[in-house]
Amino acid sequence: MTNIVLDAGPFRVGIRTSYSPLLDTLRYFYRASVCDEVTPVLDFDIRLDRPKSLRRWVRPQIQFEIDSFRPFEPHPAENAFPMYEWGLNWCIATSAHRYMMLHSGVVAFGADALILPGSPGSGKSTLTAALHLRGARLLSDEFGLVLPETADLLPMPRGIPLKNASIDAILEFDSAAPLGPTYPKTRKGRVRHLRPDQESQRLRCLPASPRWLVFPTYESGADELLQPLDKTEAFRQLAFNCFNYRLLGETGFSAVARLIRRVDCYTFRFSQLDRATDVLTGLANR
Amino acid sequence: MNLLTNVLRDPALVGAWRAEHWNSFLPLARRAGLMGRCLEVFESNGLLDLVPDRLVDQFKGTLAQTRYVQVQALRELNQVARVLGSEDIPLIALKGVAYLAAGLPPRGWRSLSDIDLLVRSQDLLRAEQALQRTGWQLHGDFDGYDQRYYREWMHEIPPMIHSQRETEVDIHHNLAPPVSRVRIDADKLWRDAVLFQLEDRRAVRVLSGPDILLHNAVHLFMNDELRGGLRDVVDFRDLYRHFVSENADFDQELVVRARELNCERPLYYAATTARRLAGLELSDTFINALRPFAPMWPFASIMHWLIERVLAPERLGMTSTTIANWLLFVRSHWVRMPPGLLIKHLWHKALFSKKPVTPDADLPG
Repeated sequence: MTNIVLDAGPFRVGIRTSYSPLLDTLRYFYRASVCDEVTPVLDFDIRLDRPKSLRRWVRPQIQFEIDSFRPFEPHPAENAFPMYEWGLNWCIATSAHRYMMLHSGVVAFGADALILPGSPGSGKSTLTAALHLRGARLLSDEFGLVLPETADLLPMPRGIPLKNASIDAILEFDSAAPLGPTYPKTRKGRVRHLRPDQESQRLRCLPASPRWLVFPTYESGADELLQPLDKTEAFRQLAFNCFNYRLLGETGFSAVARLIRRVDCYTFRFSQLDRATDVLTGLANR
Repeated sequence: MNLLTNVLRDPALVGAWRAEHWNSFLPLARRAGLMGRCLEVFESNGLLDLVPDRLVDQFKGTLAQTRYVQVQALRELNQVARVLGSEDIPLIALKGVAYLAAGLPPRGWRSLSDIDLLVRSQDLLRAEQALQRTGWQLHGDFDGYDQRYYREWMHEIPPMIHSQRETEVDIHHNLAPPVSRVRIDADKLWRDAVLFQLEDRRAVRVLSGPDILLHNAVHLFMNDELRGGLRDVVDFRDLYRHFVSENADFDQELVVRARELNCERPLYYAATTARRLAGLELSDTFINALRPFAPMWPFASIMHWLIERVLAPERLGMTSTTIANWLLFVRSHWVRMPPGLLIKHLWHKALFSKKPVTPDADLPG
């Protein structure tokens, strides 16, 4: 019995759980992503249940399961939502080589996509969240999906996990930002997710054209600085940023080349979200 | 029987499938490692239009990964062949990597988790030392007992891996443990092995056709819990069809060879299982020739019941699969270890077994 079916961009996910707080959280984040087909064909049929051990009476836990396989140890039940998000990422990362997967935030202005690749700590999730709060359509915060044949970007609007200091930075930027519950103790510290807006979720099947490729670096106290980047160097950095570049072989090489040809490339140093979003939305209005 | 084995026997069935069928089918295909094979089945039978698009994307994604793993495996084979070649140690490629090297049918879709190689038992120590000198090291955490288990009682050394690459290398000196009930004279395997050229003209040996099938049978029916699973059964089916199409007398040669190598019982199980679960066509003469290889009644029926529960459960995660798995696990130890050693081994495992650790991959989120 599937409790809820969600469209995470091109992936259709069935979720079965006996833990009702998780369903409430899923509905809070993904109300506009609920699949409306009566009997949909699923990509991933996920179960999140409490293991039947004595522990359940002391400190309840939750177990992630796909295809009767449990890739992770059980986690405390109150972290069920981050566990779901993490587990779904695992499912996608290990199977979705139909697509090229960038470790990038992606937002769109109209039909044009701005790609923000970055390593952890570069500030791309925070910057992506801020751009989305300023009205850019959210395609992804760190799992940029590229269709290799065209280099178009496919949306996968999901909750943006803000970690530690980023949470306060975003609340300072927009005190009305729709954030979900606080998860004080996850693997990555304190986490709160930003909910993608209804419009981004509604357009979850509409691809965007690559237009700008901006490599961000957060540097405390620095002035914002946007500088053009040589395309050869951009190619190298984007290939390095791609999860499955090596795996895709020639397909990956052609897809990166195709994408690079279609974008203007920059590096971007930033510290203040207000000014940073001005600079990047300015790029779109130029 | 389940939806996956139904498709393997009669692909046209999917014409009548609805969403709930596909939803039951996908986890079975994914867990069995048969995604690529299924895509090929649908393509070659002109059924691709009937398959939901998102499943086709899932198949293609898995196949892309398989192609990558295959390239890595062939590269690793090449590297090992180079090192052992310089020491004049001959080697035979086995299973998945052998199908790749010899261009046999599973090449189109079959993934592999390691490369399996055979060296002569007198070369085993030298091969291990040569690889260790050139960058390979033991892969995993093996205490003295584990090492002894591999080296003395099983037919291999602990798995090795090169420090800069990701493909595990398993080196065997026989196809079945030397302590087991199936005793194979490895010299006979070497006499019939066939040479193949790799891409850079380095040559590597592959078992003869009958020996490839007998190894598949021994591997599937002597390992814990039928580890290769339904994928090995499909390998058997596809390879058998391939060799029969090349040589009309192949099935009779297979029977003769099974006697020579003491693999009668595994061949019986492998052939009858491929027939029941994967729709392999067997001639009446071959079936008659297999008959003396069957175990005593009622063991054949019990085994068939157990095999089916494990390889083709109606759904994943059924209790009957767990029970059948446990019984087959016990059996696999029974057939490959003499009773005294088995008791000693299980006693040690019960007292000192280590808890498996879940890998924590570096993922976004």
